[in-house]
Amino acid sequence: MKKRSQWPKMVMLFVAMALVAAACGGDDDAGAGDDTTTTAAAAPAATTTATTEAAPATTMAPEPTTTTEMEMIPCVATIGFIGPITGPVAFIGEVQLNWMQYAVDVLNEELSTEISIVEGDNQFDTAQSATLAAQFVDNADMVATVGPAGSDNVDAAGAVFEDLDPDFSFVSPSSTREGIAATYTGMFRTVPTDADQGPTTADFMIAEGAAKVFLVDDQSSYSTGLSDSTTAALEAGGVEVITESVSQDTTDFSALVSTIPDDADFVYLPWQVAANGQIFANQMAEQGKTMRIFGSDGMDSEDFTTVGSLVAAFAPDIAGIAGSADLLAGFLAEYDDTNTFGPPVFAAVQVIIEATYRVCLTGQTPDRASVQAEIANTDLADSILGSPISFTSDGDLAEGQFFIFEIQEDGTKTLVG
Amino acid sequence: MSQIGVDQWVEQSDERRDRYSGWTAPARRAFDKLPTGWKLVGVLGAAAAFPLLVPQGEIRIGITVLLLAMLALGLNVVVGWAGLLDLGFVAFYGFGAYFYAIVASDQLPAHWPTWVAIPIIVAAAALLGALLSLPSRRLVGDYLAIMTLFFAQIFVELVRNFERLPFVSEDLDLTGGPNGIPGVEAWDLFGFQINSFKRHYYLLLILLVVLIAGLHNLNASRTGRAWRALREDTLAAEHMTTPVNKLKLLAFVVGAAIAGLAGSIFAAVQVGVFPNNFALPFLITIYAAVILGGSGSIAGVVLGAVAIGYIPELLRDPGKAGWLFYIGLAVMLVVTMKRWQPIAAVTIGLVVFGFVVRFVSSAIWDESIMGTANDTFISRFVDGWVLILGEQQDLITNYAFVVAIAGVLSVVVTRGWLRIATLIPTIYLAILVWENKLALQPSITRQLLFGAVLVVMMAIRPQGLLGTRRVEIT
Amino acid sequence: MEFFLQQTVNGLTLGSVYALLALGYSMVYGILKLLNFAHGEVYMFGAFAGYGVLTVLGGSSAPLVPIWLMILLMFVAAVVVSSTIGVALERFAYRPLRNSTRIAPLISAVGASFFLQAAALLLFTANSRSYDAPNLIAIQTGIPIGPIRVWMVRVMVIVTSAVLMILLTLWVNRTRTGKAVRAVSFDREAAAMMGIDVDKVIVITFLIGSALAGVGGVMVGLVFGRVFHLMGFVAGLKAFTAAVVGGIGSIPGAMFGGLLIGFAEAYTTGYISSTFQNLIVFALLVVVLLVRPRGLFGREELVKV
Repeated sequence: MKKRSQWPKMVMLFVAMALVAAACGGDDDAGAGDDTTTTAAAAPAATTTATTEAAPATTMAPEPTTTTEMEMIPCVATIGFIGPITGPVAFIGEVQLNWMQYAVDVLNEELSTEISIVEGDNQFDTAQSATLAAQFVDNADMVATVGPAGSDNVDAAGAVFEDLDPDFSFVSPSSTREGIAATYTGMFRTVPTDADQGPTTADFMIAEGAAKVFLVDDQSSYSTGLSDSTTAALEAGGVEVITESVSQDTTDFSALVSTIPDDADFVYLPWQVAANGQIFANQMAEQGKTMRIFGSDGMDSEDFTTVGSLVAAFAPDIAGIAGSADLLAGFLAEYDDTNTFGPPVFAAVQVIIEATYRVCLTGQTPDRASVQAEIANTDLADSILGSPISFTSDGDLAEGQFFIFEIQEDGTKTLVG
Repeated sequence: MSQIGVDQWVEQSDERRDRYSGWTAPARRAFDKLPTGWKLVGVLGAAAAFPLLVPQGEIRIGITVLLLAMLALGLNVVVGWAGLLDLGFVAFYGFGAYFYAIVASDQLPAHWPTWVAIPIIVAAAALLGALLSLPSRRLVGDYLAIMTLFFAQIFVELVRNFERLPFVSEDLDLTGGPNGIPGVEAWDLFGFQINSFKRHYYLLLILLVVLIAGLHNLNASRTGRAWRALREDTLAAEHMTTPVNKLKLLAFVVGAAIAGLAGSIFAAVQVGVFPNNFALPFLITIYAAVILGGSGSIAGVVLGAVAIGYIPELLRDPGKAGWLFYIGLAVMLVVTMKRWQPIAAVTIGLVVFGFVVRFVSSAIWDESIMGTANDTFISRFVDGWVLILGEQQDLITNYAFVVAIAGVLSVVVTRGWLRIATLIPTIYLAILVWENKLALQPSITRQLLFGAVLVVMMAIRPQGLLGTRRVEIT
Repeated sequence: MEFFLQQTVNGLTLGSVYALLALGYSMVYGILKLLNFAHGEVYMFGAFAGYGVLTVLGGSSAPLVPIWLMILLMFVAAVVVSSTIGVALERFAYRPLRNSTRIAPLISAVGASFFLQAAALLLFTANSRSYDAPNLIAIQTGIPIGPIRVWMVRVMVIVTSAVLMILLTLWVNRTRTGKAVRAVSFDREAAAMMGIDVDKVIVITFLIGSALAGVGGVMVGLVFGRVFHLMGFVAGLKAFTAAVVGGIGSIPGAMFGGLLIGFAEAYTTGYISSTFQNLIVFALLVVVLLVRPRGLFGREELVKV
């Protein structure tokens, strides 16, 4: 009895404390922002001149003359990140966030900018993407954001940006649906679209003499878009396509694997979760099905290692390009894992930071409108993705290109198309 | 479950609660003496002033909270009043949202005017609710729950794969599949566009007030009393000639209609609908609001919705989450020790413990203090006392995290000196893990703390924040 | 025929795993009338415990100990971790709410579930892990059944769960503790009055249910391969469904419920459509429930008036 009478008091106490926390937290906002920054203050301008040579050289950065650098006021801005850091596809968000922090570290040091990050976890939920978009617009220091991942989340966040501040730019490192960038003023993306990938994939299969393709999509926005464009291109080439689909939650595909007809030439898996693709491949082997698996760019990951399989990638093997390989090595020294969702984040951050930097060079304080104008002017001769980056008036990559790799015995990938 | 005397004891709980004790008593008595009208005006005034005082992002959160409150009220009718475990509730919300999105976007050539669309949507959702109530004639308890859960899952599967259904023609694209329907138009009430966050907020607030008034009267009415009879003992109610099936149907219908209305607003707020909006995690959120607030109480479920909607946003900001964490530790200390002498003893012990650990550890392995502290007020305060690891941070903090959780749990079960002895290293470890790991990963920590808050709140008040204790007849 | 056999094996494997999980659900429900929504997370931690042992002992490509010992150790680790978490859940999340309403513990369970998922993300990161079982037990090994060959891992999964289910049934029906469990499940108050330590029985139930979930976690890791922080949610939902359809609280019901869902999924995918697999399975279960409103093996409750 006596114990029970304590509860109301405790609740009151807790609620009171929580309210105090909320109030105090308000004052602490500035500190909180800093909390998530990686290096804003870590690279004081004085030391940067010395370290520029030592830093992994990204030749694509505009070469600042030493004099302007000395005279320049510090180029300070905040950029956001919207992505699925927790939730069903946390493996995407985690790698994206790590690459984002890495990119900001590298570029801050190289350009002597003081860019900081505010991370926003949307749990792959469109409602949360919308809330984050509104909060980011409120943050007066924020010039642009990276993300969101997933075209449905882009729609949700895009609607808010369009409504509240069309000058706010968002550079998605992983939204591939055709035409979506044209819908939103502030949208740019550093990955090519399904319209690039579908036909490349189909052409390759046709060239290999495919007559029948077994296609399984994973009922996500990403997968069905790709499935549609590939199917259309395959059927135009006279290939018979058998379409099946499984939900992304599934981890046992054996029943589906049993239904693959023996005369199929390829099994095409436009999937986001590469680890599921590996399970699919194992279960094919278990049942003695030997057709080649063709994975989309989502399957281009360390998790998918079936020898002889093909994967599409929006970048040539970056480990083989000198500048990119250094960046990749630098990343892996700091973080454990990477996957296909990582490098486009670097590109997106680079696009934003260099745009901000160019605004600073003109002597202006970067704001959303000027940064957006400069992002639209982006013209990188080379990037971590191994290809030039510039945008169409819609915000799509001007030169989207896809490459096809074959997975080798030793785990490396060889360019085949 | 019928212990002798329990019912009497429950019955008197209000009386006992009147006899407040301790330092909060005067304030609580004064609050009770306030006329209900005043309290309502106060709350309503605060809610109405909210969007005028805060930036857009906060208004957006306010909209989320109001929508959640509306849904929680609807679910409360079915679960809290009629006692029917309806796990299909979220499908009505989705139905309303998709229906509105289809008739107010380019999915169909015809766009319906809002004043036509909304009544039809609400009526259609109610009809669907009536349909779903049919199995409840035969199924009870968890069997009804699983049946309604199937309904919720079937709904999501259907909207996600609608175009692929064998009998649907290729050209008909109603639901947009996994892409959902972007570009939904705003409500247009006779020329007045509800197209900004602020307008949505006030629309929701007005509807909520109307809804609460209606539900309050319904609860006090004959139907409301019959629902409670149904909830407490269906068999007895049936023998008293209560029309059980009709009442179940009515509960489903009212709940579904409210959810349908909320859905049609949500579609307009989000300017789009996507299948994942209506999946099970959101159903869990609505249930959490109802139960945490106090199933059966109107004020309770609204408060529950505010708590469930706002706590995760509070935790999003790493600075605020930090304050919450440290205050939580302080509360744990106060609650477990109760008197000031042991609290002081533990605090002093903790400070000494920290410095000793730091001294010993840095002597053995100097990497253990080589890390850089976080840049917040508290972190700067504890820097120099707690270990900030330079190397091997992940590995060590992983173990520390597990041990700290075990420590917190054992503090709950130990007594006396043993408890003090456990408390000191536990709090130290918890701070170490916070500064070295949790503060660096705010998004994961947010989910962690939210889960912990739910468990703790339910343990403290099993009946919910404003719920009344009642004995379940099984 | 070959196709049918293959799908039967597929369904049997999947169903065995569902059944093991459903048993834990059903036992807890039988005793506490509580839906243990965090059961899926217990299973997830079991799978990670197995992965931990596998990694520490050299991984699947270069195991440091004989394979049978490795698998045994994985099961032991999973059982220890899972049952610890299960018992802790009971003690700290559910016991404070034991005498409150039916749905209140649901939210504790959800909270615990969020907490455990986030803890897994924190400890193991979001990167999905693979047991890589084909390296451990070659994919070519197996028992031929007619025209098809069943991989050894599948054989192990099916046999292990069958053995566990038989042992559990014997335990519940033949031993003193088993009888105590049944008594508490039948009427908690009366059991307490007859001198049964109800708290102890509840702890034992959680212990056994969670241990089964842990075993299930390792088996899923071995046979399907992917281990990640959210694997418990869907599996838990399936297990809940299986437990209810079988007749919640009934041990044979949970087994048959699990197998029914496993077979339904395999045959639907095989013969009708993979896209609408879930839809069709749900529709089937709706029919089952409409025909038997208390599940396959649920007993009609007598209500005292």
